[in-house]
Parts: sequence; C-alpha cells; structure tokens
Amino acid sequence: MTATATPDLDEVVEADTDIAPDVPWITLVWNDPVNLMTYVTYVFQTYFGYSRQKAEKLMMDVHVQGRAVVSHGTREEMERDAEALQGYGLWATFQKDD
Amino acid sequence: MARAFKLRKVSVEGRKELRYAGRLEDSERALVGGLMYQVAELIEVPEEPTSAPPGESDAFEDIVARLGMSVGLEAGQDTIPAEEGSRAARPEHVAGYEDPAVRRLFPIANRQDPEAAAEFARLTEVGLRRRKRDNLLQAAALLEQTDHLELRPDQAQSMLVALTDVRVVLGERLGLRTDEDAAALETISMGLGEDDPRLHFILVYDFLTWLQESLALALLQAVPEEGTRPDGD
Repeated sequence: MTATATPDLDEVVEADTDIAPDVPWITLVWNDPVNLMTYVTYVFQTYFGYSRQKAEKLMMDVHVQGRAVVSHGTREEMERDAEALQGYGLWATFQKDD
Repeated sequence: MARAFKLRKVSVEGRKELRYAGRLEDSERALVGGLMYQVAELIEVPEEPTSAPPGESDAFEDIVARLGMSVGLEAGQDTIPAEEGSRAARPEHVAGYEDPAVRRLFPIANRQDPEAAAEFARLTEVGLRRRKRDNLLQAAALLEQTDHLELRPDQAQSMLVALTDVRVVLGERLGLRTDEDAAALETISMGLGEDDPRLHFILVYDFLTWLQESLALALLQAVPEEGTRPDGD
C-alpha cells in the first residue's frame, strides 16, 4: 500500500480473535503497492460499516503482514464481499478458513 | 494548478448537503478523463466467442503512446508469482486476456480452489467489468463539465473508484509489484532527464495519487468514526 501521510496508530490489537468458529469461510485482502492507506480504510468503513479503528487496524494488517482477513461468513457472503471489494479495486479473495 | 478536493457543506433547497469540491485545469481534466476512457476500453467485456486474439490491441498502448514512452519502466521485471499468473481457472472467453493490468483488476478470487475461482469468475467477472466500465465513463463525464468540480457524495465515490482503477493500471504499467517499488519511484524520477518520457509517466502517476488522496481524505471526513455496524465492531 502507499502511504502519503504517516497514519496515527499506536496500538497493537490481537489478530483475528473475533473470528466466529461456526462460519468457515473468509474474505482476504492482499497488499498491493498502488492502493492508498486512506482509500483502503475508507473502503473498509463504507463497505463493511466498520469503525475507523477497526478499519485502520485491518488496513495496517494488510500493509504490514501482506494480507488480512476482513470478513467471515458463509461462502455466498464471502463471494459477495470479494466481488464488492474487487469492484473497489482491492485485491480480494475468498477461501475456506483453515 | 489543480486544487485538492475539500469537503464542503452547502445548502440545497434549505437542506444541508455535502459536496466534494476540487479544481482541475483543462489540460489536467483532459488527461485524467482520457485515462479513464482508455481504462474503460481496456476492460471492455470481450465478445464471445473469441475471434482474433485480442490481447495485442491494448488500449493502454494508446495511453503510453500519448505519454511518449515504451511500455514498462524496467524490461524483464515481469515476475508475477505463479499463483497469481495462472489464468487456467478463467472462463474461456475471458482467459484470452493476459494483460497483467486487467488480471490485477479482476484477480483470481480463490487461491486454494481453482474450481471455486472459476465459478466465481464465471458468475461475477462480466458484471464487474461492466460496472467498472460504466463507473469510469461516469467519472470521465464529470470531468468534462467544468474545472470547478463540486461532486455529490455518490459522484465523489465514483470518481474515487475510477481514480483507483486508473492508478492500478498505471502502476502495473510502471512495473510496481511491491511497496518498495512504489517507494522507489521518487528516486527513479530524480535520476531521469527532463525530456525522458518515463519522467512524464511517473509525474502523471504522482498527480493521480495526490488527487485521489485528497478525495479519499475528504470522503473519510464524512464517514462516522464509530462505524455503522450495530454490534459496534
């Protein structure tokens, strides 16, 4: 991802503790060198309705770790999320959680 | 000189509404709009059944020609990991398009299960391409109207996504594969002569980045910090 300003983040949140065990599919977003950190945050907030804090945390996970699980649910739901996020130009995939 | 987008509150028939105001010179509007049209053409849904191999008639050649440079900043840097490069899972008529920029806009959606990826592509890709194309055309049309842009929220989002698509294609053409590649652009540009077409290409990319960043920031300002999910997460 491309940063045009230093994001003001100083906390570390534990990764993915909120994945419900009974929804076996996930949507992933992968890092890319073009999309802006602000844009990715904007997409996570507007598409998912996530808080700024959660959206920025996921955005930083993508940026630093190369990818992040951005949603979980049924296969149909994850396909819908992946399609929507690809529509936004994000590098989104879905898969079974393992 | 272009002016960054700013969030503005206006009164429309007695109601407060949000507008995203920015300013672009005629030449800048022509450039950005022209790129949007060409990306729209690039992702046009290929016709069935496949006739002549369409890969070579790349609309982006025109962009590149307009910018006066040859494709690719660094030749031979086409190192795409195999899992991303494989189009085996694509529908017949789409698989003909091997353009890496198109591939990046419509990436393989399941890296573990080629069948699931193929089904996803079959169900979504044509629709995704059409929506993207329509959005690019809509954004380009907005740019044709005036140099004092005052975008409604829906138009601003349309512009934001169109700018993303153009930057993704340009970034691919610039050979950007990693964050380090993107960070190195400035250093590369400093080493290029004033007449070097690659410099122009990089400057265009930088301009689009600046423009998109200003619009993304303005749009984020209007998004509630706390989010809109009832469960608060």
